[in-house]
Amino acid sequence: MIKAEHYLKSAWVRRQFELMLPLLSSGISAALQLGGKRLVEFNEAGHDLSEGAPGVRAFPLTLEGEQVGTLLLRLPAQNETAQVEAWGNLLAHSLQGMLEAEHGRRSVARETLESYREMALLQRAVTDLNHSLKPAAVVAALLKEFDGRNNTADYGAVFMRAADNDDCDLAVSFGENAGKDFARLKDSRLFADISVRETGDIVNDLSSSPLWAGDVANFQALLWLPLVADGERLGLLVLASRHIEGFSAADLKRAQTLSSVAATALRNAQLYAAEQKMFQSFVRVIATAIDAKSPYTAGHCRRVPEITLMIAEAAHQANSGPFVDFTLDEDERNAMEIAAMLHDCGKVVTPEWVVDKATKLDCIANRIHLVALRFEVLRRDALIARYRALAEGEKPESAETVYQERLRQLDDDFSFLEKCNTGTEFISSEHLARIESIAQQRWNDTRGENHPLLTENEVYNLAIQRGTLNPEERIIIEYHAVHTINMLSQIAFPRSLRNVTEYAAGHHERMDGKGYPRGLKGDQLSIPARMVAIADIFEALTAPDRPYRKPGKLSWAIDIMHRMKLDNHIDGDLFDLFLSEKVYLAYASKHLAANQIDEVDASRYLAGRGS
Amino acid sequence: MSRNMKIAIVDDEIHIRSLLEQTLEDLEGEPDILIAANGAEGLALIEREQPQLVFLDVMMPLMNGYEVCAAVRKNPGLSGTTIVMLTAKGQESDRVRGLEEGAHRFITKPFDPDEILDLAREILGL
Repeated sequence: MIKAEHYLKSAWVRRQFELMLPLLSSGISAALQLGGKRLVEFNEAGHDLSEGAPGVRAFPLTLEGEQVGTLLLRLPAQNETAQVEAWGNLLAHSLQGMLEAEHGRRSVARETLESYREMALLQRAVTDLNHSLKPAAVVAALLKEFDGRNNTADYGAVFMRAADNDDCDLAVSFGENAGKDFARLKDSRLFADISVRETGDIVNDLSSSPLWAGDVANFQALLWLPLVADGERLGLLVLASRHIEGFSAADLKRAQTLSSVAATALRNAQLYAAEQKMFQSFVRVIATAIDAKSPYTAGHCRRVPEITLMIAEAAHQANSGPFVDFTLDEDERNAMEIAAMLHDCGKVVTPEWVVDKATKLDCIANRIHLVALRFEVLRRDALIARYRALAEGEKPESAETVYQERLRQLDDDFSFLEKCNTGTEFISSEHLARIESIAQQRWNDTRGENHPLLTENEVYNLAIQRGTLNPEERIIIEYHAVHTINMLSQIAFPRSLRNVTEYAAGHHERMDGKGYPRGLKGDQLSIPARMVAIADIFEALTAPDRPYRKPGKLSWAIDIMHRMKLDNHIDGDLFDLFLSEKVYLAYASKHLAANQIDEVDASRYLAGRGS
Repeated sequence: MSRNMKIAIVDDEIHIRSLLEQTLEDLEGEPDILIAANGAEGLALIEREQPQLVFLDVMMPLMNGYEVCAAVRKNPGLSGTTIVMLTAKGQESDRVRGLEEGAHRFITKPFDPDEILDLAREILGL
């Protein structure tokens, strides 16, 4: 619509009149009417200056074939008609020229303003629609642009195309009962048609469409646009109005601008999601490989992430206490899960004979049976000695006593060694002295060669003070943490996962700095790293099948962890949280055998907290 | 709304003046749109006409937007004048200075016509 009243400034027109009217006879009245508005009037005598009034001459002003205004002149006398007519034509012509020039300028300006508008929209859309790398968030942001004030659509929806077929599924929608109505729309013949079209369009009176059977009572007009990126249809934007003539070409243009940006953002988000999925499956492959390497630790890499996230969630929920500031967003959750899944990835290079070393004399085979055999030899030696003594005239009673005494001693020694071999008991200096004295007994092999009862290597291993690993083997085992660091530092983690290596590699560090591989102290370890450490310990203690012991009971595990807290081995605050929020119980009821779950008196460990 | 609702545009660039003017003509209530092409002229215009709303460019000859803004803020008779500063894209630091001098709002050039209209309607209560 032409708003001609804005085209000429009244001050300019007034000046034009002032300059021109004196050239005509005095007493002339003049007025300019533009777009229904009287812009200027020179009428000292107060004559009726309306069109058609007596003596008033009207000169029409037009734009694009349409009259937009009138120049009105009233002659004081009748004898100068021809001259006034000529001057009037000249004035009208100059005003007409000004109007046309202004009209041209304004149409250029309108185009400029339109591009400003589109530029602003694009700028905002690029920022808003690329804000998230999640497909669902992108389409939600797109739809938000059409929902609410200054929008013509009463309803809106985005349908997403399935990855492997042409099906469209409703992803998001707005409007009253929109979910139901768009589901109905999806079943309509019209939808079947528009969902495969290459371009978008408007149907402003749905009842006029042969494909529309009034499928959705509230929809009178429809605007749709395929979301296309790289020539691939990713989805469909549909807007609906309760009114016929609900949408204009400008609505479609705006929707096109937004949809083109959204489609690119959506494609990027989908690619990113696919990459993430692939990376996660790689992580799972590694975790599965570690778990599969040893039957004893099967499931460890799967369960530690679960416990870690349970602890993290408890910390996230905490409204007071040491973890009040700990928050967990999706990126962080993802990073912690990956870190916990990969914490033992270095074990891929640890030899299984160390990982699976169930007893001290284990080396592929458990050598205790060799020792048992030698003891059997000694038992037989004793039997032979008994008969030899009898043959040599010894008294039967005394030979029998010596024999029984020897057997008792051998059995005693062997069960002592057997017990040492399990690694369940601490080897004191008395124990060690006894092992060495047993070792000094001698036996003859089949060639008659004489050997000590235990080899040096056997003594060395049996003398292991705690557990079943000798120092060399312990180093090999501990080296898995170094391998974890080495392996993970080679992965080019994105920014959101940049802490994964630190979280994963710290699980054998201790709060007091006596852990490995770096000997970091508590304040040098991130909270997530300390969480993985606790999860790792708890899982190991409660795991159903560890080489060195039977499945531990819950109370036993908590008791050991409590001692670890007192020893400043694990983070005390996290242990308290683990107890007070009953994380251990939630995990146990999900993963532990019923006979492992016994009563845990948490208050006993939590008492005196904070003192 | 009162009859003599006035909006002033103070900018040395003719195309900005012209585009702003054309945009503001779409406002309801037909406010008077007053134009000045530099800071000094703009201040004189504002003091004379006391518009409710001023679109004020920052970079202008004779008197820049900050100086005009500061002068307007010092004039108690102009307490009812809202100043919207026009800043160039990427000159976000201008905003700090503008706020210090008493500007109320900011619009980045090239401006979004709808944003201009929404802002004017909000300020003028249309």
